[in-house]
Amino acid sequence: MYLTHFTGENELETEDIVEIKDLYLNFYTYDGVVKALDGVSLDIKKSEILGLVGETGCGKSVTSLSALSIVIPPGNIEKGQIVFHSAKKDFDILSLDEKSLAKLRGHYISMIFQEPRAALNPVYTVGEQVAEVYFHHRKEELIKSVITELEENLKKASGLKRSTYQRDLSLYKKMLKNPKSLSLRFYSKIPILRRFQNRMKKEARKEIVELLKLLNIADPPRVFDMYPHELSGGMAQRVVIAMALACNPYMLIADEPTTSLDVTVQAQILYQIKDLQKKFNTSILYVTHDLGVVAEVCDRVAVMYAGNVVELADVMSFFKNPTHPYAQSLLESIPRPGKKFVSIPGTVPSLISPPEGCRFYDRCKYALEMCPKTKPKLVEVEKGHYVACHLYGK
Amino acid sequence: MGLRDYIIRRILLLIPVVFGVVILVFAIIQLVPVNSRVAVFVSSGNPKELRPEVIQALIHENGLDQPVWVQFRNWLDDMLHGNFGYSEVWNSPVLPDLIKRAPATAEIVIISAPIIIFVGIFLGVVSATHRDKPLDHASRVISILGTSLPSFFFGVILSAIFIAQLGWVSTGRLSYTLEGQLLVDQSIGRYKAYTGFLLIDTLLNGRYLYFVDALKHLILPATVLVFIQTAVLVRVTRSSMLEALSKTYIVAARAKGLSNKEVINKHARKNALIPVVTLSGLMVGGMMTGLIITETIFRFPGLGNWAARSAQLFDMPVVACYAMFSAIVFVLANLIVDILYAYLDPRIRLG
Amino acid sequence: MDTKKGRFAEFKTSMQPRIKEFKFTMNRVRKSPLSIAGLIIVLFNVCVALLAPVLAPPKLSDPFMIPRDASLGWRYEPSPPSPTHPFGTTSLQVDVFYGCIWGTRFAFMLALEIIVVIVIVGVSLGIISGYYGGLVDEIIMRFTDIILAFPSLILAMAFVAALSRSGWTTLNAVILSIILVGWPGYARLVRSETLRVKSEDYVEAARASGASDLRIMFKHVLPNSIYSMIIVVSLDFGTIVLTAAALSFLGLGAPPQYADWGRLIYDSISWSASGFRYWWTYMYPGIFIVLFVLGWCLLGDALRDVLDPLYRRK
Repeated sequence: MYLTHFTGENELETEDIVEIKDLYLNFYTYDGVVKALDGVSLDIKKSEILGLVGETGCGKSVTSLSALSIVIPPGNIEKGQIVFHSAKKDFDILSLDEKSLAKLRGHYISMIFQEPRAALNPVYTVGEQVAEVYFHHRKEELIKSVITELEENLKKASGLKRSTYQRDLSLYKKMLKNPKSLSLRFYSKIPILRRFQNRMKKEARKEIVELLKLLNIADPPRVFDMYPHELSGGMAQRVVIAMALACNPYMLIADEPTTSLDVTVQAQILYQIKDLQKKFNTSILYVTHDLGVVAEVCDRVAVMYAGNVVELADVMSFFKNPTHPYAQSLLESIPRPGKKFVSIPGTVPSLISPPEGCRFYDRCKYALEMCPKTKPKLVEVEKGHYVACHLYGK
Repeated sequence: MGLRDYIIRRILLLIPVVFGVVILVFAIIQLVPVNSRVAVFVSSGNPKELRPEVIQALIHENGLDQPVWVQFRNWLDDMLHGNFGYSEVWNSPVLPDLIKRAPATAEIVIISAPIIIFVGIFLGVVSATHRDKPLDHASRVISILGTSLPSFFFGVILSAIFIAQLGWVSTGRLSYTLEGQLLVDQSIGRYKAYTGFLLIDTLLNGRYLYFVDALKHLILPATVLVFIQTAVLVRVTRSSMLEALSKTYIVAARAKGLSNKEVINKHARKNALIPVVTLSGLMVGGMMTGLIITETIFRFPGLGNWAARSAQLFDMPVVACYAMFSAIVFVLANLIVDILYAYLDPRIRLG
Repeated sequence: MDTKKGRFAEFKTSMQPRIKEFKFTMNRVRKSPLSIAGLIIVLFNVCVALLAPVLAPPKLSDPFMIPRDASLGWRYEPSPPSPTHPFGTTSLQVDVFYGCIWGTRFAFMLALEIIVVIVIVGVSLGIISGYYGGLVDEIIMRFTDIILAFPSLILAMAFVAALSRSGWTTLNAVILSIILVGWPGYARLVRSETLRVKSEDYVEAARASGASDLRIMFKHVLPNSIYSMIIVVSLDFGTIVLTAAALSFLGLGAPPQYADWGRLIYDSISWSASGFRYWWTYMYPGIFIVLFVLGWCLLGDALRDVLDPLYRRK
């Protein structure tokens, strides 16, 4: 049921699914204007896992939220485009209106968050929340399957049951044709009459239980009725992942999904994500600060520093040959037994009055004269391996 | 643990508190020296001018010279038999007076409470969702004014404007002439007071003019109550809503594709109302306090007025009875609120 | 020479973070007009209270008794505002201006007295209750529960009635009653803070290094709870004065002719029955009350906005 849905739509012409082009984002705070994103450019390709690495505050979370056009005040996107290459045509996500965004989010592009239990509403059951995504985007399917079931029942039933089925059937058919009709809205508000919706809910429940099984959640029917605070971290994260994959999105944004979990659970979830990615054929933008995770899971990696993408390469090439001085220092500073503890001297520059040129200038070993004056652009040093550094510029 | 167990546990916790309340009230009564307490039992003459022997006799007669615990037992015993004492100020037994006056106060509360709840929550939510826009600023100003404006000042101003200056309505529950007529009719049996609630009785007796008059007299006291309490409710709802809107699950809900309206109504509101529900319990206490003052200003013959006048003249039986009454109402209100809270928030009832 | 300079430089650097925090705080206060308004109002009230003897020279032995104007006789009817009586007079020619000015001073004194006692009692009981736990905790908490089971004004009323009946002056009765009704709030606040601190590691460390238990509690709980207490105290300044005024309004507070806003409004009730004719008898005291309470409310709100992030950052 799941694996065959939408596969047709996922056959894309272009390689890229989402392209972030030159994104500039500012935060307007009491202390001044924080220039958080300074011309970020990224592309996520079909069926790949792209890792987005960087320290806290470098702008990776903000970038990932922008892909859904979610900007948390006091932020504001100044310039740039985020192009979504869907099967039918290309959109600039940042210029979509609210209605289209509502259709895009959760359906074509989904997101999972760092703290799973915080991402779930504590007053609703877990199942209700997954069902919410379902009802929002896949209502038609549900209605259609309820209709087929009702028509079957109608053939076999008789007497009083017949009339019940007939009435429900007409209601559901109306939902397909004219969802905003007055009689439907009337029925939905009155408590007793509202029960016709139970068929749809049962149908959704069946599908969600299947989905939860896919995520290796034990005893899915019981978990469906549990509240977020009753679940362990790992379980909650699986539910959040289920919520994100419920509509088989083109792309999944994972914002540090394992950071708050125990190490053992972390490994399980990582494996789960990799597995699901293959099954669902989804692209993943995996935001993390952990290079180990990147090595495990990602196909390509983008390194961010202080609001810029400084290096972009496939994982093998990156770990073998880190090119940007920041990336090199990052890899050097990973502690290993027997090695002396190394850290990068200096601190991240203030983004309120950032330097004009390269933002890594004051901590860079190889600083050149032009570095503080002009910003380096991403150039290709070998196939598929880009760096933003004057050492490699023209 | 389940909701039922939680309810049972809360009710059990109630019992020591109620017991403590009773003890505290008794202690307050005991503060008054015995010679003074005797005054209640004097049926004729001026209590202050009694000869010492008479006072001693009265003390002995009414058991005021017994040890404390005996007195306490007697007092409890009396209360359980419905005897809450006798009021010197009103010259009548206390408990029947309470019952007689309760409907008047209840009418004010029944009219005010729905308005407070609906307007308060609505304004609070709107204020939070349209943060820093003109509506938000306006309701914040109103709510700050409401909390710093003493109810008695507001009441006096309203009374000066509408009763004295404009003459739209008089003090009390009914206008002077109508009230007189009603009393006459009641004594000859042409008007039957079925419930004590004017709004109901007047309709049942077919006296529509009186109904309107009673309603008119409820407006001013209700206005004072509503203004003050709504201000508090708006503030709390607003901050609770802002808190809820800043949570991660709101961002997650938006990332799921829900529209702004859906996010606010389905996700934020339910969470935001939880602390608000808790506060409403406290608001009941605030209303009872406000009623004392409001009824005094508008000379409304309800429980608040009764308690205020009695306190002014240091009439202990009435004050003690009213204190116990209000404590029990307050405790019950908080119990209901706690149960509601557990119902709304699964984290509480599932431990 | 050298060491002195060095020490001063050291002091400067150690103060740096504090100065930064202070600057940050001031900046935030500056950006909010309501906070500034609150501060101005409170300062205005403080000035009036301090300058009371200058603004309205006392004429009777007890400066808090409002003088009557004998020249206007013993007329019952209030006199309108005039050069000698800027705010007019109320019943029996009691000067309203004097009442309002000294009323400010009285309000401050009343509030300060009460708050000091409430804080000391409430904080001590709260710390003891939270630290020792067990039976002591249960008993103290039951006390707070019982007191908090009453709406505060009603319990205060009952106390005042009983105490007055047994010979206390109503004013002292009011002070004691408000204290009795007010300490549980602080006790609870401090108790929860104590419980939180109790489970922190540095308490274990302090105990390990031999410090006496209660001392640890006071030393650690107080600074931590000080932020939330400051907010509650500034809001309480307003509510205590309101409660006292309400009691006076019901006739249970200040005696006749006393410089108390609530008392002045009590005296004005009968005059309000004539509408606006004697507006000065209730408008002026009322406005003074509103300003006072408003100022402290705004200040409390501002402090909450400012101190909350600091508190959270800790």
